[in-house]
Amino acid sequence: MSPQAEGAVGNEAAVAEVAAPGGGASPWTPWVFRIGSVGLVLLIWELYGRAQETTLFFVPFSSVVGALWDLAGTSEFWNAFGQTFIPFIWGWLLSLAVGILLGLLIGRFRTFDALTKPYVTFLNALPVSTLVPIAVILFGIGYASRILVVFLFGVVEVTLNTAAGVRYVSRDLVEMGESFNAKQTRLFRKVILPASLPGIMAGIRIGTGRAVVGMVVVEILLVAVGMGRLILRYRGRFQSAELYAVVLALIIFGILLQVIARRFEHRVSRWKYEMEKVA
Amino acid sequence: MIEINGIGRRFNTRDGGSFEALKDVNFSVNDKEFFSIIGPSGCGKTTLLKMVAGLVKPTAGSIEVDGTPVVGPGDDRAMVFQSFVLLPWADVLTNVGFGLELRGRSRKESREAAAPFLERVGLTRFSEHYPHELSGGMQQRVGLARALAVGPDILLMDEPFGALDAQTRQLMQEDLMRLWDQEQKTVIFVTHSMDEAAYLSDRVLVMDTHPGRVREILDVPIPRPRDESVRRESVFTELTAHMWHELRGMMGDPTAPAPE
Repeated sequence: MSPQAEGAVGNEAAVAEVAAPGGGASPWTPWVFRIGSVGLVLLIWELYGRAQETTLFFVPFSSVVGALWDLAGTSEFWNAFGQTFIPFIWGWLLSLAVGILLGLLIGRFRTFDALTKPYVTFLNALPVSTLVPIAVILFGIGYASRILVVFLFGVVEVTLNTAAGVRYVSRDLVEMGESFNAKQTRLFRKVILPASLPGIMAGIRIGTGRAVVGMVVVEILLVAVGMGRLILRYRGRFQSAELYAVVLALIIFGILLQVIARRFEHRVSRWKYEMEKVA
Repeated sequence: MIEINGIGRRFNTRDGGSFEALKDVNFSVNDKEFFSIIGPSGCGKTTLLKMVAGLVKPTAGSIEVDGTPVVGPGDDRAMVFQSFVLLPWADVLTNVGFGLELRGRSRKESREAAAPFLERVGLTRFSEHYPHELSGGMQQRVGLARALAVGPDILLMDEPFGALDAQTRQLMQEDLMRLWDQEQKTVIFVTHSMDEAAYLSDRVLVMDTHPGRVREILDVPIPRPRDESVRRESVFTELTAHMWHELRGMMGDPTAPAPE
C-alpha cells in the first residue's frame, strides 16, 4: 500500500489482526483443522470397515477409493456421468437465468413481488422431490423432465437470494444516485445491480448445491439413468465399494462446483468482505 | 437565488394520525452565499435540505431555484452526505467521477474529468485505493470531490463532517473554506455544530423544533478570508454563545432560561 495520509491509511497490521480472530493464527490454521477433521473421520471409517467380517454392507475407505479408481477407467462410468451431467447443466443454467431475472424483478418491484409471492412461498415450503413424479408424468423420462427437476431445485434459492440482495441495497446509495439526477435505468445498472451482486452470487452458490441434489434425486427416485442407475444397480448387487465410489464421485462433483461458485462469489463480492474486515 | 416559500411537511403516523415535521418555513439563500442550517436533532433540517435537493417533496409550499420550481433532483445541485455514501466496489477516482457517470458520461470520460477534482482535495495519489482503505476524513474529501465534479451551482451538505473526529473535522472545515473561496458556489450546510456554522457561514438559520420552523437567521459579521484565529474573536464567541442559548432552550434543558 502507498504512503499514508492523516496516518490512517494502509494500516495493514490492524487489518490483519481483525481478519484473523482468535489472535495470532496464521491463515493456514483453519486448513489444519479442516483436513484434520476429515482425516479423522476417514481413519475411523477405514478401521471400522476393516473390522467388518463381510464387504456386503460396509467397506473401508481405501476400497471405495480403489473402486472409484477402477470405475474411472471404464467408459460406462463416463457415459453415466455424461447422461447425468448434460441435463444437469441445462437445468442449472436455466435456474440461474430465470432465478436471477425473477429475483431482480421481485426485489425491485413490489407489485411483482406480490404477484409471485404465492408461487415462491409454495416452492419454498414444498419438498421439491414431491414434484418429481409429476414432472415425469408430464414430460416423460427423457431429458425434459430431468432438466425441469434440476431447474425447480435450483431456482428458488437463486430467486430468493437475488431478491434479498436487491431489496437490501443500502437506501443511502440509492438516494445518492437519485441526488445526482440519475435516470431510473442508469440508477439500476450503475448502483442497484452492482450493490446486489453479493446476494446474487450467494444465490448462485446455494442454488448450485440444490441443483446437484435435484440431479441425483430425479435419477434415484424415478428415472434410472446415469449415475442414479449405477447407484441403484450396485445397491441391488451389494457391490458396496462401487456404490460408495459413485456417491463419492458425486460428492467430488458437488464440492468442485461449490468451490468454483465460492471463488466466483468471493471475487465479485470482494469489496463486501473487505468492508466487513475493516468495520 | 434559492427561495423557500411556506414549506411544510407532514408525515402520516402508524396510528392513523399525522405529525408535522416542518411548518411554514420561509427563507432565501443568495447566490454564492454560504448558508448554514442549525437546530436540535429532529427539527427537520435534513428533510429541508433533501427538499432543496429534490429528494423529498414538501406537503405545503414551494422551493424555487432562480425562479424555477424544484420538482426533483437537478443538474444544478449536488449533495454531500454525512455518511459519505461512496461505492465500496469502486476505486476513489471512479467514485469522484460517479456523479458524471450517473448523468450519462462513460466511466472512462468520468474518471478523466474527475482527476482535477481529486487533485483539489489532495488525494491524487489515492486515486486507485478503495474507500474502505481511507480514513473518514479522506472518504468525505472523495464525497466532496464527487459533488464538485458535476459542476453544480449549489452544493447541499448534510452534516458532512458529523461523522468525523474533532481534529479531522477542523481540518476539513479549513479545507472546505479554502475550496469555497476558490469555487464561489452557493452552499447550504446542515450541521449541529454551532462552532462550525459560525466559522464557515455568511448566515446561519437557527431552527426550532416540534414542528421544525425558522427561529431566527443570524448574520455572521466576520470578514473573509477567515482563519483559525477568528474562533477566538469576541464576535465569534458571542455568536456561538447566542446560538447555544437558543438551542439549549429548545432542548428541554430545565436549567436554561425559558425561551422568550
